[in-house]
Amino acid sequence: MGRTREEKMSKGALLFAFNSPKFNYYTMAVATAKRINHFLNLPVTIVTDEDSIPSSIDYKFDNTIKVIADKSNTRDWGMWINKGRYQAYELSPYDETLLLDTDYMVNSDKLLTTFDLPTDFCCHDRTSYLMQPTMSQEVLSVYSVNTLWATVINFKKTKRAKSIFECLKMVQNNFQHYGNIHGFIDSTFRNDYGLTIATRITNGHTTPINDYIPWNLLHAGTNTKVYRNNDNEFNTEYTVMFDHWNRGKIRKEYMTIKDTDFHMMFKDNFMELIRE
Amino acid sequence: MDTKTIIAEARARFNHNSAKAYLKDKYDSKFIIADQGGLWRAKLEIINFLTNSTEEHVILMDNFDNPVKVDRISLLDKLSTTYHTVMEEWYSEWVELEKKR
Repeated sequence: MGRTREEKMSKGALLFAFNSPKFNYYTMAVATAKRINHFLNLPVTIVTDEDSIPSSIDYKFDNTIKVIADKSNTRDWGMWINKGRYQAYELSPYDETLLLDTDYMVNSDKLLTTFDLPTDFCCHDRTSYLMQPTMSQEVLSVYSVNTLWATVINFKKTKRAKSIFECLKMVQNNFQHYGNIHGFIDSTFRNDYGLTIATRITNGHTTPINDYIPWNLLHAGTNTKVYRNNDNEFNTEYTVMFDHWNRGKIRKEYMTIKDTDFHMMFKDNFMELIRE
Repeated sequence: MDTKTIIAEARARFNHNSAKAYLKDKYDSKFIIADQGGLWRAKLEIINFLTNSTEEHVILMDNFDNPVKVDRISLLDKLSTTYHTVMEEWYSEWVELEKKR
């Protein structure tokens, strides 16, 4: 009888976290990693820098990879260390990697489905906003294409996925040039924009639907505040409050959500939610 | 402060339309399954087609517009199960939502 060998692909999550003067991304990453462990049962590797690692560590990541942070990016509230995401391909210790923003609130096992998709690279191309169901899709500019989202990326170690990340590096290094071509403001580097351009270049300037996660990325966006409904560490029920502006007046509206992943656009609110 | 107090103090109004849109987002994604090398959405059209076909294998366009040859009964089982499970959950939350009117 012949012997069969089952090759099991390693799977894991990867988080990039570099503290800025305003936000402690390492703390956010720890909270997100715990939720990934709990809901997805995946190991988590963190990519960070020496300055972000706290003196006392109470959570052990699967791997801690230290790199030198590129601190050249800024936005309205100050330094924003989001460059270098292209290193995900080289740094990930896994055959199949779920690359998440640290402010993504995992509340279910839904992201496991991304490992089953018949593709070697995927990200979100469509979004919905909690309490703002009529919000339109974001575009690079009115003259350009719809934005893809780097908030959730699933990739396998393939030649094509490698090309996309190498291209992302090229776009990051020439962001002003691509800003001119696509007509967007290039003073702040955004991974979403970089990824949009990189995937299009790698795929011959086409729109490859196989590269899109087939459901919407859910954002908690402007004028929205999220409260957790109980103090359990792995709470999955939240009240979402929205300031509805109408004729110069605010009307407060709310709804309740549960067992649903979402991306927090406002880090202050995310920090409040993960505070124990 | 608990969320009920926050809602009361803010005099916030429950937004039924947003909640309905949120439920659609939440449950739409749960209809999706990967099976037999394709990606499928458990919707009535495909379930009806698989139910009414008689061949052992059929070729279908999957969600990514790829033609995939599938074992009909096996895919039908998975899609039917997914459809009923998701719709039960959706309905259950919908009933809760309707009580808030």
